[in-house]
Amino acid sequence: MSSAEVRSLERPADRLRRRRVANRAMELLAWLAAATAVAILAIVVFSVAKQGASALNFDFLTKTQVPFAPPNVHQGLANAFVGTLVIVGIATALALPVGILIAIYVNEFARPPVRYGIGLVIDILAGVPAIVIGFFVFGLIVVAHGQSGWAGGFALAVLMLPLVSRTTIEVLALVPNSLREAALGVGAPRWRATLGIVLPQTIGGVLTGATLAVARVAGETAPLLFTSSLVTNNIDWNPSHPLQTVPVAIFELSESPDPADHARAWAAAFVLLIFILFASLTARWLATRSRRKLGRAAG
Amino acid sequence: MPRNGKLVRIILVLGAVAVAASFAVTAASAKRSAGSLKGAGSSFVAPLVNAWIAPVNSNLGISMSYNAVGSGGGVSAITNKEVDFGASDAPLSVFSPTCTTCVQIPWALSGTAVLYNLPGAKNLLKISGAVLAKIYLGQIKKWNDPALQKLNKGVNLPSTAITVVHRSDSSGTTFNFTDFLSRVSPAWKSKVGTNTSVAWPAGVGGNKSAGVAGIVHQTPGAIGYADVAYSTIAHLNVFKVQNRAGNYIIPRLKNIKAASALDTHPAKDGSLSIVNPPKNAKYANAYPISTYTYVDVQKSSANAANLKKLINWAVTKGQAFGPKLIFQPLPAAVVAFDKKQIAKVK
Amino acid sequence: MSTLDTTTDVARRPLSGRRAHLGDLLLQGAAGLAALGAVVLVGLIAYKIVQGAKLSLSTFGLGFITHVGWDPVHLSFGAGSFLFGTAITSIGALILATPLSIGIALFLTELAPGGIRGPVTALVETLAAIPSVVIGLWGILVLGPVLRDHVEPFLHSALGFIPLFGPPNSAGTGIFTAIVILTIMILPIISSISRELFLSVPGELKEGALGLGTTRWEMVRGVVIPYTRGGVAAAVILGLGRALGEAIAVAQVIGAFTGISWNLFNPGNTLASMIALNYQGASSGLELSSLIYLALILLVFSIIVNIVAQLIVRRVAKRQGLAQ
Repeated sequence: MSSAEVRSLERPADRLRRRRVANRAMELLAWLAAATAVAILAIVVFSVAKQGASALNFDFLTKTQVPFAPPNVHQGLANAFVGTLVIVGIATALALPVGILIAIYVNEFARPPVRYGIGLVIDILAGVPAIVIGFFVFGLIVVAHGQSGWAGGFALAVLMLPLVSRTTIEVLALVPNSLREAALGVGAPRWRATLGIVLPQTIGGVLTGATLAVARVAGETAPLLFTSSLVTNNIDWNPSHPLQTVPVAIFELSESPDPADHARAWAAAFVLLIFILFASLTARWLATRSRRKLGRAAG
Repeated sequence: MPRNGKLVRIILVLGAVAVAASFAVTAASAKRSAGSLKGAGSSFVAPLVNAWIAPVNSNLGISMSYNAVGSGGGVSAITNKEVDFGASDAPLSVFSPTCTTCVQIPWALSGTAVLYNLPGAKNLLKISGAVLAKIYLGQIKKWNDPALQKLNKGVNLPSTAITVVHRSDSSGTTFNFTDFLSRVSPAWKSKVGTNTSVAWPAGVGGNKSAGVAGIVHQTPGAIGYADVAYSTIAHLNVFKVQNRAGNYIIPRLKNIKAASALDTHPAKDGSLSIVNPPKNAKYANAYPISTYTYVDVQKSSANAANLKKLINWAVTKGQAFGPKLIFQPLPAAVVAFDKKQIAKVK
Repeated sequence: MSTLDTTTDVARRPLSGRRAHLGDLLLQGAAGLAALGAVVLVGLIAYKIVQGAKLSLSTFGLGFITHVGWDPVHLSFGAGSFLFGTAITSIGALILATPLSIGIALFLTELAPGGIRGPVTALVETLAAIPSVVIGLWGILVLGPVLRDHVEPFLHSALGFIPLFGPPNSAGTGIFTAIVILTIMILPIISSISRELFLSVPGELKEGALGLGTTRWEMVRGVVIPYTRGGVAAAVILGLGRALGEAIAVAQVIGAFTGISWNLFNPGNTLASMIALNYQGASSGLELSSLIYLALILLVFSIIVNIVAQLIVRRVAKRQGLAQ
């Protein structure tokens, strides 16, 4: 007898029980999957927090690195924090305006085929691995001019661009056309309508996208290895020098044999994680706020 | 809505201010401050160079920074003039492309130690060049292999698997280590050869000497190679390596000094080779993987005056900082050569 | 993108035959320049990478792709061993992450009580926000020893007859560790896209099935999954793209070994991690060019993967648009 025939001989009550058991089993697996994800996150965050918080002290935030120093020398990662601030700042200053302009062009001026084409280009750009971008900026800037904070900032900007463009395009599309028509109807020129009325409506969404992009890029290591790795150990604000950054510092410290270096790596990871979580929460709050605002404007 | 418009304007202004500020900072500190030097390269010599930073600052008024990116990284950095000096444990002739406009100066002398991590084992186990080559060829895979056990009679070696650790980046230490292996093992020489980066038949790669020491530190049963200073830094055991005289030698100052007697007159390009000294009473206690390490400087440097001060100090007074880190002070003949070399820098 | 397609208003037409203000021209010019810049950027990236790889391309040609081994002494380089490493780590990560992600997405859309739905969603998205270098650090110092001391010996003793689970090594690093790390990294991508897809299934379809007396699992299997099949496939492919390009976390845990080994517990190397570890001191111009050749291969893969995912998304969106 085939299994189908066997099954057709089952009493309906038995078949129902088997189906219920299968259902329960699948539900259990789904619960297990979710529990696994939560557990992984909890373990990672807990490890970072526990190890990092214990190594976190005032010295860590204010003093700079002293490699191969005996344990009694006070050192920290202040140079990395400063460098990350400068380089991410440059990246944001480059990517934000360009990303917004691209979104404005796509949404306000471009014809559908052009819109599709540029959207495709942005998606391709988003898919280029960070390490390939590193090689690109290396070939473009570093080979001719050496490493610098500018090169590192430019590399991170290339990474941020698709993120900023995409979110801005989405939010601009949400602005109701009635608003644009109203602005043009009172005689405002296109540029005034776009910059003064449409764009400000989306500022929440744009900031959300920007914040998420900054959070994403603050932890990027690969492009900085190519553009800003030959650094001094002093606290340096000058972007024409290569600057130490937090993710590169973590990368270097993670390979060291010295447990004190590991402790500093954990502490840096802890600070980085807190910054990124804070930025994500801010982005989420901004998104909710702007969604509410747009909802009011549409109504 | 007016509120949002103002917000946009505020953000634009802040952004412009930030960009302007960074331009200002750039312009103001455009020229690197007079007393500062930037170097990169060998992680082999990094403990010593880092020990020099403070005294160089107080005695010479020069603020020096050093990046241990590996010898390969150092040579390419000085070739591209990204740094003031590059440091490498392998002579410039080994690299391609290399710095054709550089002066090469041997400025420190130490030994490449073979580190190991074997829980429960004592320090200073014995190993011969031939056995070491077989281990790195992947032919000897366990600690209690008869070949290794024979060298260490009286020690109960466990059946732990050997994890071979090597450098994954371009390294002068690798050059010196593979140079030694090529001389003691014809099989190694034909199969793998000598270079700053080779096709390793077996094992795990670590990034820079610290990475190798780190992996050995974390991995029971691991064997790796790095400058002997890293054995102290990482609290790792070292092997006594057999030299051509048949003795098992600890990488210690006096043994490195014995090896350095092999070659005290640098070649015209500044290179010296003291690996695997021959079977001779003079080298009975020579450590067979002793190595010089070099600093490479462009013949015409923007920072020539400071560089000359630094290197003159390094090869004379700076050598006093060496012994604590197991760097043997340079022989007088080498120091004399160095002074003539550095005079070539304008 | 679909919302854009539905608008054809005056407000959105490009300037033509209207009294053009200087400001309008400036804005359109600047915005157009930025858009052009994006296109030029992508082209420039491709150009620079090909240019950098040219020396290696002309020396080795396409044979580079299959050649196994990386010998700077004899100047013989090849991508074979890294293609193998990339393939085995990405596929391994997909095998582990896909069922896990779908399970999480189903949990969040079908099973989770209202109170924990929000926090768990937020938690999974937070996992996406953790930088790769931090996961790599955790991998070296926490995960590695656990895998080495407990998981790998267990797997070897239970499944050792399969060559994949050969003798474990004593470093905590290796292909298996890299697979676990990559799984953790692509989990949030696949699960958040799948979650949104599952949420988009029309309620009537689901209720219809349940009304006929199916169990919840049968409803999922018969309605939700077939409906979202294409989208989930696209999500998986996007996860693949992420796994392909991950350099840093993999470089930290994979053990940097060149060669082909079917034992998952051995060290290995992927295209991305090889580049990250070796570019700094490439000992010859040919080696540097060969590393850029690896980057070129990686770039081509990423673009293909991305385009395939986009095509699937567009086809699914069109089909769903028609269905509605």
